[in-house]
Amino acid sequence: MSTLLDVTGLSVNYGGVQAVHDSSIRVEEGEAVALLGPNGAGKSSTLRAILGLIKSTGQVNFRSTSISGVACERIVSQGLTLVPEGRRLFPQLTIHENLMLAARHRKAIQSTYEALLARLPILAERRDQPAGTLSGGEQQQVAIARALMSQPDLLLIDEPSLGLAPTLVDRVYELLADLKADGLSMLIVEQEVIRVLNFADRAYAMANGTIVMSGSAAELRNSDDVKHFYLGAEE
Amino acid sequence: MDAILTYIVNVVSLGGTYALLALGLAVVFSVLGLINFAHGELMTLAGYALLAGILLGVPFWAAVLAAVLVGGVAAVIMETTAFRPVRNANPATLLMTSFAVAMLLQVIFQNFISARGQAVPVPSLFTGSIAIGNAQVSIIQAISIVVSLLSLIALKVFFDRSRSGWAIRAAADDFETLRLMGFRASRLIAIAFLISGLLAGIAGVLWVMQRGSVDPLMGLKPVLAAFVVVVIGGLGSISGAVLGGYLLAAIEIALQTWLPEGLAPYRDSLTFVLVIAVLSLFPNGLFGKRVAEKV
Ligand SMILES: Nc1ncnc2c1ncn2[C@@H]1O[C@H](COP(=O)(O)OP(=O)(O)OP(=O)(O)O)[C@@H](O)[C@H]1O
Ligand SMILES: [Mg+2]
Repeated sequence: MSTLLDVTGLSVNYGGVQAVHDSSIRVEEGEAVALLGPNGAGKSSTLRAILGLIKSTGQVNFRSTSISGVACERIVSQGLTLVPEGRRLFPQLTIHENLMLAARHRKAIQSTYEALLARLPILAERRDQPAGTLSGGEQQQVAIARALMSQPDLLLIDEPSLGLAPTLVDRVYELLADLKADGLSMLIVEQEVIRVLNFADRAYAMANGTIVMSGSAAELRNSDDVKHFYLGAEE
Repeated sequence: MDAILTYIVNVVSLGGTYALLALGLAVVFSVLGLINFAHGELMTLAGYALLAGILLGVPFWAAVLAAVLVGGVAAVIMETTAFRPVRNANPATLLMTSFAVAMLLQVIFQNFISARGQAVPVPSLFTGSIAIGNAQVSIIQAISIVVSLLSLIALKVFFDRSRSGWAIRAAADDFETLRLMGFRASRLIAIAFLISGLLAGIAGVLWVMQRGSVDPLMGLKPVLAAFVVVVIGGLGSISGAVLGGYLLAAIEIALQTWLPEGLAPYRDSLTFVLVIAVLSLFPNGLFGKRVAEKV
């Protein structure tokens, strides 16, 4: 197994607000890794910094090559992308346009596209409807599909279950499980702690901008601190 | 009946030009959040390029083509030299920059060409008119209508079919997510300016052919109108810019045709009163997007 993503000493500062402080995260090839943490912990900032969407200090390596300071669009072309928090589909564009927008080489993407159509019937059924007309769960599936159109090796996903009813969350995680079985590596930020710990191989927990705990998903699931902070506080 | 036909021809030809200009403004607004006040000077520049081509004796069609291209290239140069350095500054800075560019170009035209209008000798082929029933339609108007409609169709295909077209439509909503889709901001902005400049070039040529002359301040009035159109249509709405263009022309020409002689001096003010009325009923413009859709 080789290391796909290696983040060391990452810090993000928003003009005085220290959102992320000296955090280190690793994702091995084929792994699903969870990043937990309460609201405002710095999870989204971490993902956005890795993708080069915001300024950060520290070292980010992807496939042993430094991507610190590299422009987001170059990083994406190297096989790393993000499904942003809140999905961020383009509401006025159709589903087809949303997907193809992400396909840098339309021909090369054809097989990926057809596989997605087979996996997610909604892509074909509602292909020409504006993405803004989809329900939240459908939007999340389309957002993940759109990210796959850049043919990533590692997918960062920010709160896939945000605002979704439990059955829709099941649907999203079924899709993620399929993708994982196909060998896609992922780093998932999630507040549905039990759900993601049942899915992931390893996990990190973040609080106030720093990583406070890490280990196998089972270790975190059984940890008293996680139970106390997340599971207790969830209800 | 003839009066109605004349009215429609006037509206469709003026409206087409407004739509082209407004689309040029909307495309740039979409990617940069800037109303480019120097857009009119691109028109003027295309007008001078047409004149230069004719005076140099190149075939008229080649002069027209060159003039349109000058509009496009000048827009890209404007973007890289003037707007790129202040791209991430606040909107007021961008707006001031566009005013400065407009002024600078006007002064250059005045000092290096002439403050007075220059006659543009349009081939006589284009100066006649054709009779439809009892109504007279000038050939230039007919050309205006055809050219503007063809340009709008071409743009529609671009916005519906091409990846860059989708990206420009999406940019107004969310530039950051476009970067996740692999778009380079600089490239997209350059494409938007190129399109905007080509549209200004086409509008400039049509405008000059109708008036038969070009002067340093030529772009001012039509671009002010296009600015109004973009606001009525809904900032950032591309179809709004087109429909708004025809709507403004309909209002303007109705007032021109049917307003009693005595009220003629108030024509422009009345147009603006109507515009304000529209905006107070539809604060986001007639075709502005529903903000609630943001996900
Ligand atoms: N653009 C910004 N400017 C200033 N501060 C910001 C900005 N974005 C985030 N922050 C702050 O940085 C901290 C971390 O935010 P971040 O969005 O990374 O948290 P999060 O863990 O993703 O939270 P949530 O679970 O609510 O999505 C918060 O205190 C937040 O207020
Ligand atoms: Mg977040």
